[in-house]
Amino acid sequence: MSRHPHSTPLFSFSRIWIIAGNTFTHLMRMKVFYFLLVFVLIWLGLNVFKLPHTAGPESVGGEELRLLKAPLVGTMKLFAIIIGIVATALLIPRDVEDRTLYTILAKPVPRLDYLLGKLFGVLLLILAGLTVMTLLLDAVLWYRTQGILSEFDKVAGILIEQQQWTVEDRQEARAELLSHGVTWGLQGAILVIFFEAAIIAALALLVSTFSTSTLFTVVISTLSYFIGNFIADGLDHWQGSSGIDEGSLGDLSTRALFVAFPDFRPFKIVDEVLAGQIFPPDVLGSLALSTGLYVGLYVVLSWFIFTYKEI
Amino acid sequence: MSETPAVQVSSLVKDFRGSFGRGMIRAVDDVSLQIAPGEVYGLIGPNGSGKSTTMKALLGLVTPTSGTCAIFGRDSSKVDSRQEVGFLPENPYFYKHLNGEETIRFYGKLCGMRGRSLRERTEELLELVDLQDARKRRLGAYSKGMLQRIGLAQALVQDPRLLILDEPTAGVDPIGSRQIRDLIFNLKERGFTVFLCSHLLEQVQEVCDRVGIIHKGTLVKEGRLEELISIEDQTEIILRNATPDLLHRIHELADQEEGVDLVRSGNPRTTLERLFLRETVQRDAKADPGSGTGQGSPADGGPDGCNNDTEEDSP
Ligand SMILES: Nc1ncnc2c1ncn2[C@@H]1O[C@H](COP(=O)(O)OP(=O)(O)O)[C@@H](O)[C@H]1O
Ligand SMILES: [Mg+2]
Repeated sequence: MSRHPHSTPLFSFSRIWIIAGNTFTHLMRMKVFYFLLVFVLIWLGLNVFKLPHTAGPESVGGEELRLLKAPLVGTMKLFAIIIGIVATALLIPRDVEDRTLYTILAKPVPRLDYLLGKLFGVLLLILAGLTVMTLLLDAVLWYRTQGILSEFDKVAGILIEQQQWTVEDRQEARAELLSHGVTWGLQGAILVIFFEAAIIAALALLVSTFSTSTLFTVVISTLSYFIGNFIADGLDHWQGSSGIDEGSLGDLSTRALFVAFPDFRPFKIVDEVLAGQIFPPDVLGSLALSTGLYVGLYVVLSWFIFTYKEI
Repeated sequence: MSETPAVQVSSLVKDFRGSFGRGMIRAVDDVSLQIAPGEVYGLIGPNGSGKSTTMKALLGLVTPTSGTCAIFGRDSSKVDSRQEVGFLPENPYFYKHLNGEETIRFYGKLCGMRGRSLRERTEELLELVDLQDARKRRLGAYSKGMLQRIGLAQALVQDPRLLILDEPTAGVDPIGSRQIRDLIFNLKERGFTVFLCSHLLEQVQEVCDRVGIIHKGTLVKEGRLEELISIEDQTEIILRNATPDLLHRIHELADQEEGVDLVRSGNPRTTLERLFLRETVQRDAKADPGSGTGQGSPADGGPDGCNNDTEEDSP
C-alpha cells in the first residue's frame, strides 16, 4: 500500500505559509498586539492635531513637516522592533510548554519549515502593522503638506511680486518643501525599518532556540540590538578618525563582531531620509541583500540548534 | 512475519541529561518491540517508566542515544516516516485561538491536504469524535475530554495507518473516557494499528490485543493479553437465580472430586466504572431514547453487570 508515495520535501513554501498564517492569526488574536496597534494608531492620529500651523515662508514649512514625521516614524520603528523581539520570543517557548510543538512535528513537517513559519508569521504581523501605519502617516503628511503648500504659494506670490524672489527661487523652495512630504524616499525608509525588524526578529528566533525563558530571549535580543547600534555609532566615529585598512586585523575583528551583533550602520539611512536627504535607490538593494544575509545566517543557526534540541 | 511491521523499535536507549548537566537519567533502557499492522498494542507502566519517551523516540521528537525506531519500515529520524502516523500527546494543548474546525483544518493543511477533500475530511472527523456542536467554539473553552477528542481527530486527519496515543484517557471523566475507548474500538475494527500507553490497566485490558509492561525503562513482560492474564487452571461459572440448595450441591460435587478446590463463590461485582456508566449515561439514554449520548444499552432488566468481559455496548 502506498497512499503516500511522495517523499516530504525539506522545504515547502505552502507549508511554511500555513504555519506563518497560523502564527499571524495567533498574534492577532492575542489581544496584546491588537491593543498595541490601536494605541499606536491613536498616537499617530493625535499628532495630526498636535502641531500648530506655523505658516512661514521658505523652509519653515519643511521644518514643520520634519517635526511631524520624526516622532511618527520613531513610533513605527519602536513598534516594529518590539514586536520583532517580543512576539518571536513568546512563540516557540509557548509551543514547547503547551506541547503543541509535538503535534506539529508529529506531522510530516521539517523543523526548518516550522521555524521559518514562525518567523514569517511575525514578519507578516510587522508588515501589516507598518502598512496600516504608513497609510495613516502618508494621509496625515499629505494633508499637512497641502495646508502648508497653499500658504506657501500665497507667501511666495507676494515675495515674487515684491521682486524678492525669482520664479526659480520659488521652484527651488517648493521642491524643498515637497521633499519633506509624502515621497518615495519616505516609503523606502519605512521599508528599511521593516528590514531592521526582520533582522532583530531572526536574532530573537536564534536566541529562543537555546534560551530557557522568554525573558532571557527578550533581554538578550534587546541588548544585541542596542549593542549593534552602539557599535555602529562607535565604529563610524572610530573609522572616521583612524581609518581601518581592508583585511586588516581591525577589519576582521569588526566583521566577527557583526555576526553576533548585526551591523546596523547602513540602516541609519532612515534618519538621513527623515532629515530630508534623497533616498538613493541602489542603497535599498544592498540593504535588502544584507538583511537577507543576516536573516539567512540566523535561521540556519537556529535550525542547527533546534534540530539537536530535546523538546 | 513477511509484512512490514507498523512499529519497529530496536534496542532503544535514551539518556537525558540531569538538571544543570548533573548525571544522566536513563529514561529508556534497551527496549525492543514490534507491532504488526492492525494490532492494538498497549504499553503499561507506572509514571516515569519511559512510556512517553519511547513514543517520542518513535516519532522522531527525541533523538535516541542508541538503537533505532521505524514506522512502516521508514526510519523515525526522517520526516517521511511521519506521513502514516497520527499522534495524540499526553495532556495535549492545541492552539487556544483556534476553534475545533480550524484546528482540524490546520493539521490537515500541514499534511498537504487542501480544498474539498480537506473540507469533507473535517466534517467526517467532527462527526466521528462527536464535536459538531462545538466546532465553532475556541479550544480555550473545551473540556479535557473534548480536547482529547479533538486531539484524536487531528491525529487522524491525514488518514494514517498508525495511531500513537499517549495516555488518551488520563484526566478524563468516566463518560468521556468511555467515549474515547469506544472510538479506539471503532478504529481497531476499521483496521487501524494503535499503539497506546496508559497506567489505567482496566482500559488497556479492554482494548488491547497485546501488552508490554515497562518498568524503569525496561520492558519486563510482553505478550498477548489472554495469555498474560488468563489463569489456566481455573474455571468460572456464573449462575443467575441459583438457589442456596443448588449452590450447596455444587459445593458437595466439587468436594467429592479428587484434586478440585472451590476457590471462591459469591456474588460477582460489577466494576465501579460500569456501575457509574449505568447510573449516568445509560440512565439518560433510557429516559430519553432519542438522544445519542449513551450508545445503546442492552436494557434486559436483570443485574447484567458482572466481572466477565461481555461488552455492554455493541459498536
Ligand atoms: N526532556 C527530559 N529531560 C530530562 N528528563 C526527562 C525528559 N523527559 C523525560 N525525562 C525523564 O525520563 C523518565 C521517563 O519519562 P517518561 O517517558 O515521560 O515516563 P512516562 O511517560 O512513562 O511517565 C522520567 O524519569 C523523566 O523524568
Ligand atoms: Mg508519560
